[in-house]
Amino acid sequence: MKNHIVALLALLALTFMVACEDSKGPSVQPNNFTLTFRATYDGQPLEKYKNYPYGDKVVTFDRFNTYLSDIALLNGAVETKLSDIEWVDFTPDDATNNDAVEVSFKYTVPDGDYSGIKIGYGVKADLNAKRPSDFSPSHPLYIESEYWLGWKSYIFTKVQGRVDLDANDTTETVIFYHCGSDPVYNVATMSAPIDVSGTSSLVIEFDLKKLFTFDGVLLDLEVPSNRTTSHDASNIALAQKLMLNFKNATSMN
Amino acid sequence: MQQITFNKGVRPLAVVAVAIAVCLLPQCKKDPPPGPASECDLTNIPYSPTPYTIKKPAHFPQVPVPSDNPMTLEGVQLGRRLFYDPILSGDSTMSCATCHFPQGSFTDNQAVSLGIDGTPGKRSAMSLLNIAYVSTALFWDGRVKTLEEQALLPVEDPIEMHATWPDVIERLKGHSEYPELFRKAFGITGCEKITKELAAKAIAQFERILISSGDSKFDRFVKGELDLEDNELRGKLMFFDEGQFIGLPDAQCFHCHGGITLTGGQFFNNGLDSVGDLNDFVDKGRGAVTGNKLDNGKFRTPTLRNIALTAPYMHDGRFKTLEEVLAQYNDNGFGVINEDPFVRTIGFPVGGHYTGLTPQQTADVIAFLHTLTDTTFINSPEVQNPFH
Repeated sequence: MKNHIVALLALLALTFMVACEDSKGPSVQPNNFTLTFRATYDGQPLEKYKNYPYGDKVVTFDRFNTYLSDIALLNGAVETKLSDIEWVDFTPDDATNNDAVEVSFKYTVPDGDYSGIKIGYGVKADLNAKRPSDFSPSHPLYIESEYWLGWKSYIFTKVQGRVDLDANDTTETVIFYHCGSDPVYNVATMSAPIDVSGTSSLVIEFDLKKLFTFDGVLLDLEVPSNRTTSHDASNIALAQKLMLNFKNATSMN
Repeated sequence: MQQITFNKGVRPLAVVAVAIAVCLLPQCKKDPPPGPASECDLTNIPYSPTPYTIKKPAHFPQVPVPSDNPMTLEGVQLGRRLFYDPILSGDSTMSCATCHFPQGSFTDNQAVSLGIDGTPGKRSAMSLLNIAYVSTALFWDGRVKTLEEQALLPVEDPIEMHATWPDVIERLKGHSEYPELFRKAFGITGCEKITKELAAKAIAQFERILISSGDSKFDRFVKGELDLEDNELRGKLMFFDEGQFIGLPDAQCFHCHGGITLTGGQFFNNGLDSVGDLNDFVDKGRGAVTGNKLDNGKFRTPTLRNIALTAPYMHDGRFKTLEEVLAQYNDNGFGVINEDPFVRTIGFPVGGHYTGLTPQQTADVIAFLHTLTDTTFINSPEVQNPFH
C-alpha cells in the first residue's frame, strides 16, 4: 500500500513538473500573423481603369494578379515557412467597385524578431509541373483560368491594361503581360526587422509603376515588343525581365 | 405604471411557474390536427443514402461539392426527376429541361427562351455542361454564387416558369411519389418537411453530374489516343496561342475560355457593342449586379465544350453560326473602355493594330472548335429525361 502511495505521489510530481516545463515553452496563438498584400501605382492604391501618368503617357490597368511561392520569414539563415503557394488576386470579378482589393492570409508564427522575408515570385517548379486536376477545389492551384494549357504552366502573373500612345486622351493601345513557365520564376529576400509578438501583421505592397521601371527608366511602351508578352517562347525575355523586377516593386510596411 | 410585487421566497417559484405555463399553453395549441398530416409520416420508409461519386475524365479537375449538399444516388435521382418535371412551372407545361435539354448540350438552341406565358426571356439559355466547375458566379451576370441558389430563381421568374414555390411545394407534398423520393434523398420524416431548399439541393446534385465524357476528339487527342487533322491542329495552336513557331497568329481564345473545361468562369466585355457611354449597353450584364458602371456589358464566359451544338451564340443569341462569331472577333472590338484587351489583339500586330485572322485561319479555329463536340455526353443515359 505504501508503495502505491509513493508511486502515486511520484506520478503527480512528474505530471506537475511536465506541466511546468510546458508552460515555459513558446505559446503561439493560431493564426497570429496576418500578411496583407496591397497593389499600388506610384505609391497610391491601385484602381482599375484609372488614368495614371506614365512618363509623358497615360496608362490604365484592369487586371493584376500573381502567384507567390515559398513565402517565409527569415531569422538569419533560419526560415520559418508561411506558405508553399498563395494566389493574390487584386482585381477579382466580384469586386463591387474599381479599387484593387487587399488580400490577406493568416499564419501561425512563433514569437520572435525576424530579420526579413523571402518570396518566390511565381509558381515554383515542382508545383508548376502539376496542373489544376492535381489539386483539391480549395487549393490556389486549382484555378483553371490561371493555367496555361498550351504551355503546361501556370500563369504566374497577369498585368493587363492600356496605354494612350497618341496623346488623344484615350487609352487605345492594349498592354498585357502574362508571365509564366519555369524560367521566369525567381526568389527574392528582403531585409527588414519584423517583430512577431502575440498578434502581429505585415503589409507588402507591389507597385506597378516600379514594376515597369528599370534603372530609373520606364519601359518604353512605344516599342511594340514591350507592350505584350506573347505566349510562345519568343518574348520570354520580357516576362523574365518583369518577374525579376518584382523584387524592386516590392516594399514592406 | 402599476408595479407588481411578490412576497420574498414565493416570487421565484411563481415566476417560474407562470413562465412554464405560458410556454406550454401555446405548445398545446400548435399540435397538428390528426388526419392528413399523419398520412405524411415517412418514417417507415428506409433512409439509407448511397454516396455518389461523380464520373469525370481523368484529366479534368476534381468537381467541387459543397459540404452542406453531399452527393448521393438518391439525391441525384430526385434532382434529375425534378429537372425534367414540368411540375415546377406555373401551368405544369415547362421544366428546367425545356430550356436546357441534352441534345442542345443543355441549352435550348434559341436566341432567347420563351416562358410559360410565351414571354421572351432576356438572354439565351446557357449550357449546363460542366457547370459544376463554375465556382465564381452563375447566370450570364453572376447574380448568384451556387447551383443551390441558382435552381431557386427560374421557378418564380415571371418570364420563365412563373410559379411560386409555395404552390410547387404543395404539389410535391401531395404527389404520389415525391414525398418518398425526398425521404430517400434527405431523410425527411414527413412530407411537410419538403422545402424549396431541398428541391434546389436535389437539382444542384443532378447538375453536378453534367460533366464531359472525355470522349470528344480533343479529349482523345489530349489523352494521346488519336491525332488531329492538320486544320484542327492549326486551329488548336491558334486557340491556345501556341502557333507562333510555325507562323500562326494568336486567336486569343483561351484567355477567356481557359483550362481543360474551356471556361474560366470570369466576366468580360468581349467587344460585341460599340457604345458611346458605358450606360448605353442595352443589357448591362455584370454591371447590373455589381452596380459598377465599368462592369456594364460584361458577361460570364460560357464553356466552349460542345459549342457546335449550342447555337445561337452570345448572351442574346445574336449570332447563328460560329462563322459569325469569329467574324465579330476578327473585327478586334470597338475600343470601349472596359473591353477585354484580348479582344483587341487577335491576329498579328501591325503598327498599332492587329490583323485578325485570315479566312483559312478562321476556318481552322472553327475546325478545332468542332473537335470539342462530345456526343457521348449528350447521349449518356444518366442525363436523359427519366420520364421517357
